Amino acid sequence: MRADNLIPRAWPPRFASAPPPPPGTRPFRAGHPRALVVAATMYLWAAVAPAQTPPADNKPATYAGSEACQMCHEDIYKAFQRDPHAAVEKDKRRGFETRACESCHGPGSKHVESTAAADIRNPAKLPVAEADRGCLSCHLNQPTHVGRIQSAHARNQVSCVTCHAMHKSAEELVPRRRAAINAECAGCHTAEWASFQRPYKHKLPEGAMSCVDCHNPHGSVLAHSIRTVSANEPGCLNCHGDKRGPFIFDHAPVRLEGCTACHEPHGSANPRMLIRAEVRFVCLECHANTPVTAAASHTLGGVPPSFHDLLSPQFQNCTVCHVKVHGSNVSRELLR
Amino acid sequence: MKIWLLALAALPLAAQQAAPAAQETPAAPLTMPETTITGSVDLGYRFNSVGGSLDTFRSVVDMGSGVRLLGLDLTIESATQKWFDRINVRGSGWGGDPYTTAHVDATRHDWYHFSFDYRDIAYFNFLPSFADPTIGNGVFLDQQSFDSHRRMMDFELQLLPGHWIVPYLGYSRDSGFGTGITDFVNGINSYPVEDKPRDSTNNYRGGVRLELKKFHVTLEQGGTTFKDDQQVFTSNQNFGNNPGPFLGEQLDVTSLTQAYGVRGDSIYSKALLTANPTPWLDLFGEFLYSRPDTNVNYSQYNVGQFVDLTPLLLYTSELDLLTGVAKQPHTTANLGFEIRPVRRLRVIESWMTDRLHNASSAALTQQLLTPAMTTLLNSFTDLLVMNYNREQVDVLFDLTSRITLRGGYRYEWGDGLTNGALLSGLPTETGQLKRQVGLAGVSYRPLQRLSLSVDFEGSGGDRGYFRTSLQDYQKARVQARYQVRQSLVLGANFSVLSNQNPNPAVNYSFLSRDSSASVTWTPNNSKRITLTGEYTRATLRSDLNYIVPQDFTSGTSSYRDNVNEASTLVNLLIPGFGANGPKLSVGGSLLRSSGSRPTDFYQPTMRFSTPPYKHMTWYGEWRYYGFAEPFYQYEGFRSQLVTIGVHFTR
Repeated sequence: MRADNLIPRAWPPRFASAPPPPPGTRPFRAGHPRALVVAATMYLWAAVAPAQTPPADNKPATYAGSEACQMCHEDIYKAFQRDPHAAVEKDKRRGFETRACESCHGPGSKHVESTAAADIRNPAKLPVAEADRGCLSCHLNQPTHVGRIQSAHARNQVSCVTCHAMHKSAEELVPRRRAAINAECAGCHTAEWASFQRPYKHKLPEGAMSCVDCHNPHGSVLAHSIRTVSANEPGCLNCHGDKRGPFIFDHAPVRLEGCTACHEPHGSANPRMLIRAEVRFVCLECHANTPVTAAASHTLGGVPPSFHDLLSPQFQNCTVCHVKVHGSNVSRELLR
Repeated sequence: MKIWLLALAALPLAAQQAAPAAQETPAAPLTMPETTITGSVDLGYRFNSVGGSLDTFRSVVDMGSGVRLLGLDLTIESATQKWFDRINVRGSGWGGDPYTTAHVDATRHDWYHFSFDYRDIAYFNFLPSFADPTIGNGVFLDQQSFDSHRRMMDFELQLLPGHWIVPYLGYSRDSGFGTGITDFVNGINSYPVEDKPRDSTNNYRGGVRLELKKFHVTLEQGGTTFKDDQQVFTSNQNFGNNPGPFLGEQLDVTSLTQAYGVRGDSIYSKALLTANPTPWLDLFGEFLYSRPDTNVNYSQYNVGQFVDLTPLLLYTSELDLLTGVAKQPHTTANLGFEIRPVRRLRVIESWMTDRLHNASSAALTQQLLTPAMTTLLNSFTDLLVMNYNREQVDVLFDLTSRITLRGGYRYEWGDGLTNGALLSGLPTETGQLKRQVGLAGVSYRPLQRLSLSVDFEGSGGDRGYFRTSLQDYQKARVQARYQVRQSLVLGANFSVLSNQNPNPAVNYSFLSRDSSASVTWTPNNSKRITLTGEYTRATLRSDLNYIVPQDFTSGTSSYRDNVNEASTLVNLLIPGFGANGPKLSVGGSLLRSSGSRPTDFYQPTMRFSTPPYKHMTWYGEWRYYGFAEPFYQYEGFRSQLVTIGVHFTR
């Protein structure tokens, strides 16, 4: 079955701007469970939906072919040849052979006839979710998207094309160079990038690392889209394998709250990227010597107890003695 | 030597014939394209001068003098496409820089994709303000310092035999080595001694991805090995941080050897699933399982004068042998769906559980040489249990094509269990997590070039694992971006996190705010001048009660951090020399923070480049680093780095 023959049945008129579904997509049918859900929410729909004027010509657009696009959009067409998506031009499997442009922009016959912008699907002008559906019609079933649905980017309507520039080179579609990746992220995450101008930081401005070394922009099972390594370990351990353990004597926060319990990963004015200016306060904020009430508050670590004289410089940096603060294989007090 | 070898790698670029001039008529369609090499090579010599604390300079910047391969970026495109379609080669920092990187990837369409990544990052840290117990005596020694490297490499080969099946194999290695100073703790004294860390982790993995029309499955099986052969030693007499006599005896160490023989291994499994059985339903799930084990053989031999407080015992030598094992099965599962009952409405539901159980045991034999030989035997067990669960539902509704509303709810619950602290008298300690979080957000795009998003979450707070955990908190973020015209983009961000734990035993109050604004100006398609700039102000206020150990009075840990940071970069093409004329770049960053650790850090930079030939550019770069801390003036430094180099492009 030809893909273009499916479109009128698969997508009702108000979906005319939606991406063409892949061949074999089941059409919308009354009596389908989805229709019941649609009916149940119809009154809400009617309340907020703008009046839909049926198009004068209900005849659906058909595919015109990329060469027709090239006639007017020569510069875009040429630039697109450097884009990995140019391979779509030969994609018989999805029915997009010679229709690479229309694989994203939808059937273009009406636009070819009228040259009106309203007659072609422009993902940049669509609601983000709808534009993304166009990308996901091919890219949904890939491992990078296991966490996408629940990622902060998806929830905050950050569209695929916000980071992936179409019609351009492979490097602009998916930045691979660390500086380019960092620039892409810093474009929105300005404050995070500013943290890397602090003296103690991970070496991103120097080009030794990039944001995606630690974060998966498509989402992750961990908070803040932190990458996982070795199945379910936090991405920090990809480079800091010596902190992984398991240790004979683990330090609970490393496992329960992660590195950010004590470290500011983007950058800090405090040595070792600590969250406090002095080490003792990093420790004392949990090991606060409040035995009974701490137990009542269901928190860990309230009771070291210790009798150290914090007025003495010897005890002002706990890690002078508790050298294995990330976990020890020898000492329960993390002394060796 | 390495630098010259890498320079040789650039020779093909220099030897490459100039690209033929564009022909007036289009090439015939059957003309075979030539193998091409494009890219750039950046070679330079850097001079540096440092005033002030060299140790702090090395801890923060650590850029040295000498010849450097500052950048290499080549793309080789095959004419025949017999073995590969394209190879990318990138590298930076070769010749002695603290951040050395290399990357190679090769692809042949429908056959394979190969990638190799290498990084060698030098970690130097020697800051007396961090760990110097004798600083009151004017001694400037960081007793937790190191001069080490972490070296990471990763190989991955993906085979592409068809459109829907992708087998892959991977190997990565992470290793650390170097020297440093650490403390040998014994009785009431601690002694700064030499440290030689050496660890490595190998990761082997293989799997297959099945990417079909309606679903995708990834199955991966992997394993890791780990070893840690850290050695701590000294052969010099050392009186430690408590040099005074104890019970009339002068405590010291004259000889020490600590040898950590830690071996670990793990197997892990990963299964990922995405599916869209109908156009209105997407499913996703993942199951992750790892079971790292650690086996420890530790030995220690120390000679000197020592004291053991439990029981009170003076002795002159000690031989410790410890064997132990730790096992940590760790299971994570995640399942969810997105359902789109109508076009404008999406409902996302997800469940997640993360369960970890570390059980360990160890046996320690101590032989102490007192006037007689005393042997002490100890056995230990320890545990750490974490059960974390999360359920989240988000409802997204496209109110109009320009406004999307989002509301949701997240419930997190779990518990953590550890052995009780030694002197607490408790057999175990339990931490509990219970957090009900409301979620909301708005995305508004009134114009194609203007976007505004607001993201909020808040929780009334119930229980957290730790005193500093999120409890009664509100978190919000506002982001705006406006493309005023094709060449001018403005951005603004604001985020706030307020966290309170009013429990009288905790009394925690935390507030952080970040505000930033950015501008990007690229008039005339960046032909003459480009300007990027941003300004950020970040403030953080934290107060938390604790009991002061020495007198059991109530104290407050207060932390303040007020940061003003600005950075800019202006690129200017010098007028009168055409599009390929000399360029001047001026910019850098400026950071001033006040609060608990006031710091000034300035990094201005200027670069001038001029192309004597079409594919070659001479350049000179000046970079200044100024670092000052009013509380620790002895750690300030000023440094100027001047680099002269040549940049080849093709």
